[in-house]
Amino acid sequence: MMPVSPFRIFFQTGAWMVTAFLVLPLLVVIPVSLTDTSYIGLPKEHLSLQHYANYFASPDWLKATWTSIWIGTIVATCATVLGTSFAIGCWFLSDRASAIARWVLITPILVPPVVQSLGFYRFWVKLGLIDTSTGVILAHTLLALPYVSISVFAALANLDRNIPRAARSLGASVRQTVMAVIVPAARPGMLTGFVFAFIVSFDEIVGVLFITVRRVTTLPKQIWEGIQDNIDPTIASVATLLVILTLIVTAIGALRRS
Amino acid sequence: MTTPILSVSNAVKRYGDVHALDHVSQDIADGEFLTLLGPSGSGKTTLLSAIAGFITLDEGRIALRDTDITRQPPEHRDFGMVFQGYALFPTMTVRDNVAFPLKVRKRPAAEIRARVDECLDLVQMGQYADRMPSQLSGGQQQRVALARALSFHPQVLLLDEPLSALDKKLRADLQWELKALHDRLGVTFIYVTHDQEEALSMSDRIVILKDGKIQQDGKPGELYNRPVNSFVADFLGKSNFIDVTVTGAEGDLLHCEAKGASFPAIASENGPRSGQARAALRPERLRLAAPGEEFLPARVRQVSYLGERCQVIVTHDTLGDLLVSCPTWKTDITPAPDLPVSIGWDRDACVLLAPE
Repeated sequence: MMPVSPFRIFFQTGAWMVTAFLVLPLLVVIPVSLTDTSYIGLPKEHLSLQHYANYFASPDWLKATWTSIWIGTIVATCATVLGTSFAIGCWFLSDRASAIARWVLITPILVPPVVQSLGFYRFWVKLGLIDTSTGVILAHTLLALPYVSISVFAALANLDRNIPRAARSLGASVRQTVMAVIVPAARPGMLTGFVFAFIVSFDEIVGVLFITVRRVTTLPKQIWEGIQDNIDPTIASVATLLVILTLIVTAIGALRRS
Repeated sequence: MTTPILSVSNAVKRYGDVHALDHVSQDIADGEFLTLLGPSGSGKTTLLSAIAGFITLDEGRIALRDTDITRQPPEHRDFGMVFQGYALFPTMTVRDNVAFPLKVRKRPAAEIRARVDECLDLVQMGQYADRMPSQLSGGQQQRVALARALSFHPQVLLLDEPLSALDKKLRADLQWELKALHDRLGVTFIYVTHDQEEALSMSDRIVILKDGKIQQDGKPGELYNRPVNSFVADFLGKSNFIDVTVTGAEGDLLHCEAKGASFPAIASENGPRSGQARAALRPERLRLAAPGEEFLPARVRQVSYLGERCQVIVTHDTLGDLLVSCPTWKTDITPAPDLPVSIGWDRDACVLLAPE
């Protein structure tokens, strides 16, 4: 038998510990969601699906979920269109100005969310966008843009610079060149960007707390309020559903790639 | 010459203080295989890009037959173009790539299909029609690019170093094929390269550029045998350079003296006919013989065996080192370092150059 090197033991143990550190807090919501108590805690006597039933019976929860889904979809669409146009434009120019523009566009990732949300708040008050879906969509689109443009940039990184020239010499106008040649090459990046943009919007809480009051409630805000008002285990069932949904989507993605 | 298909007059393109094109004028005949040859930065690619319509000239004019196309966008020029990196559309099959120019021209589907098949057969890529470009080798991709650039019957085909990315053997094969394709289709080819062998082997005419200026243009043989200046003499093939004094003339033949040796040389177009000048002498025009048989005594310094030919550096007492290239299959002497020899050349081997 091969002697096991101490390095190997060290790194293997480390890897498993990091995995456990990442995954265990996620998994703990599962037993909590199945609790038979009416407060957040582990099951006392038996497992119960009552909090799942509660989620599906509650108009507030369902409305918040639906709000998050449709806002997320619009945000993902807007961010994909804008981010892709931006990335393709920069790819075409590929000069100093476009390099600077790329850096400016990713600042939403670099600025702390609280600072940014404060900015949204001050600005949205002036524009009368507070507590409107439009306000949330605008803010989320801004936050999601960098993810789209970065993934489209990555998709175009290896595209031959002469390809637009080739297309034009073959008789295609600039518009035809972009639509028939560049956009198809950018498509994998657009798809990734769309998914990211949706997740950014679906997940976002700080901004929503700053710029909405009563009329607009997204799922993260509903969860947040659920924790504040009462310690309702429905939160755990919602979280579990989200974890399962994410796993399914990731698995489909992984299977399609292999 | 009949009316040229393409006519470039006084083309100027500046990038900052650098003249990429410095008052270049050139007429290109219909059906010609013209090569723009030069080192990098000579302006050859700039000239091709201006003809293609990718860059706008600062001054000058480009005309297609009688139409001024200086400011016409590339998609209206009807010139096919082939690039060094192939530039195939990665998301389309081979068939769709070749069909692209016909689709943007809204040709009927049946016609497109027939024409695509015809073009793919022309470059022997018919069996690969449904592959993606990434599944093809470099040579195959370039064939597809060629079929794509020819599918819409372009008036002129522009080729920007199309073979540079391929390995040597494939390059040689494709040179033959390109030449055959040109002869068969009769389309005007404008070919950019920095490779002098490529230029010599395929072109009807070569234009040599340096620093944005045309140095010389002519048939490959003319350029090779009658270079006008030392740049051309050295860039197209190899040359020995000898500084001489012209002592007399007899028609096109000039009598030259150089440090004790005297020999005839040919005057080049616009070249000097008297006084101090520089002469170029091709290595293969030099003859190597036993001592006393030729008119200059010399000694072998170094030998490099290349298979079909043998490169020999010989040293003459006053003229210095001269490169001799002699066939290995026909030698009276076997050159070896320190061997005393004699060297000579024909009366028309030496060309007097104009100053650059």
